[in-house]
Amino acid sequence: MSAFVVILTKDLRLELRSGTSTIAMVALAMLVLVVLVFALGPAVARGPEAAAAALWIALVFAGMLGASRALMAESENGCLRALLISPADRAVLYAAKLAAAAIFMIVALGAGAIFTVLFFNLEFSGALPRMAPILILGVIGFAALATLLSAISGRARGGELLLPLLVVPMFVPALVAGVRASAAALSGAPLGAARDWIAILVAFDVLFVAAGYLLFEHVIGEE
Amino acid sequence: MSKRLGNILGAATLVLITVSLWMIFAWVPTEAEEGIVQRIFYFHVPCAWVAFAAFAIVAVAGVFFLWLGGQIWDDLGYAAAEIGMLFCTLMLITGSLWAKPIWGTWWTWDSRLTTSFVLWLLYGGYLMMRGMLEESEQVARFAAVVGIVAALDVPVVIVSVRLWRTIHPAVLVTRQGGHGLQDPRMIVTLLVSIAAFTLMLAWLLTLRLAVLRARTRLGAIARAVAIAEFRRGQSV
Repeated sequence: MSAFVVILTKDLRLELRSGTSTIAMVALAMLVLVVLVFALGPAVARGPEAAAAALWIALVFAGMLGASRALMAESENGCLRALLISPADRAVLYAAKLAAAAIFMIVALGAGAIFTVLFFNLEFSGALPRMAPILILGVIGFAALATLLSAISGRARGGELLLPLLVVPMFVPALVAGVRASAAALSGAPLGAARDWIAILVAFDVLFVAAGYLLFEHVIGEE
Repeated sequence: MSKRLGNILGAATLVLITVSLWMIFAWVPTEAEEGIVQRIFYFHVPCAWVAFAAFAIVAVAGVFFLWLGGQIWDDLGYAAAEIGMLFCTLMLITGSLWAKPIWGTWWTWDSRLTTSFVLWLLYGGYLMMRGMLEESEQVARFAAVVGIVAALDVPVVIVSVRLWRTIHPAVLVTRQGGHGLQDPRMIVTLLVSIAAFTLMLAWLLTLRLAVLRARTRLGAIARAVAIAEFRRGQSV
């Protein structure tokens, strides 16, 4: 447990001092939303349905950026080797990396949700607090997949290309469920209305956090 | 031994595929409502079955590779993924050919179609990863992990797209159950065709495994030759 806290606080401190990946993720999320508003046009880019879709597209793009950085930053200065020869369990390393990636993504998506409400002419009252649990569930699932798979894609020469090819198809069920649940939340329905979708998100998170925790030791390593 | 097994499987596949072709084109009666197009069903369903079976083999081989190790499990997973991808593609194409005259559209986001297409994307990613990491020694472990994670994804995909479609009935409402195999000959034809395709899966697996094993052996020989040449160069 303490190894988890040590690695997580290290990543958080690093991020607090530089802020690079969170700021980049916020900027990217905002850009995705802007691009979608322009691409869809003012007539389509309004209302909860379009807003939920746009926000989840932003989540995928921003998450891809954040996840690929999490492990790559470690390998840059040989820090990964230091982490691997430390007595910390590799599954704990996975949990810490997953937690750090999820926290950065939640910060970025929190900003993204505010932009979404503004850009898509929605009401702030109640929509954001109802969205929060849905987005957090989506972020955890995405970070669980991306942290595991970025350990693989980081090893390929064109790794940045490989990560979305692996993560996006696997994220489809969470995306479907998340967009539907978010659309319901943004349109003012209580969380109970999206119960089935939230159940799918929870199942997705449990499944892939467990899979990542068990399988991470097989993919992490040097070279 | 495996060569003989391959030959036996190949011959059996040839015989059974010939029989099933005769049954599909000459023996089985034409379906009353859909007409001649319905015969594609006898290719479509076996393709789907082979694709799903092959993808299941990928996951099982992945588990065994991580558990026991051994090149054979990795080769099996690789071969099964390639064959699964082939038949998944054929399933999507034959389904699309059937859907145009029957549903009036090449593609619709029906839950089964969506699930198949997501599967196709998943294993496309798996094969692309194998291609990009070919030189890496850890590719076998990576492939095992991706194969397992992809298989874990499949039930969630099925549940979510089914719910997605029912909540969203704006999409064309489709009922695959409408095939109605009224004639017992239809069921027999389907079963023979499935058996033929299953044999073909086994045969293709043995062929692909032999190629992969030969490649591993060739790599070992090439390494041994390189080492020998290097030593000779040193001693001169």
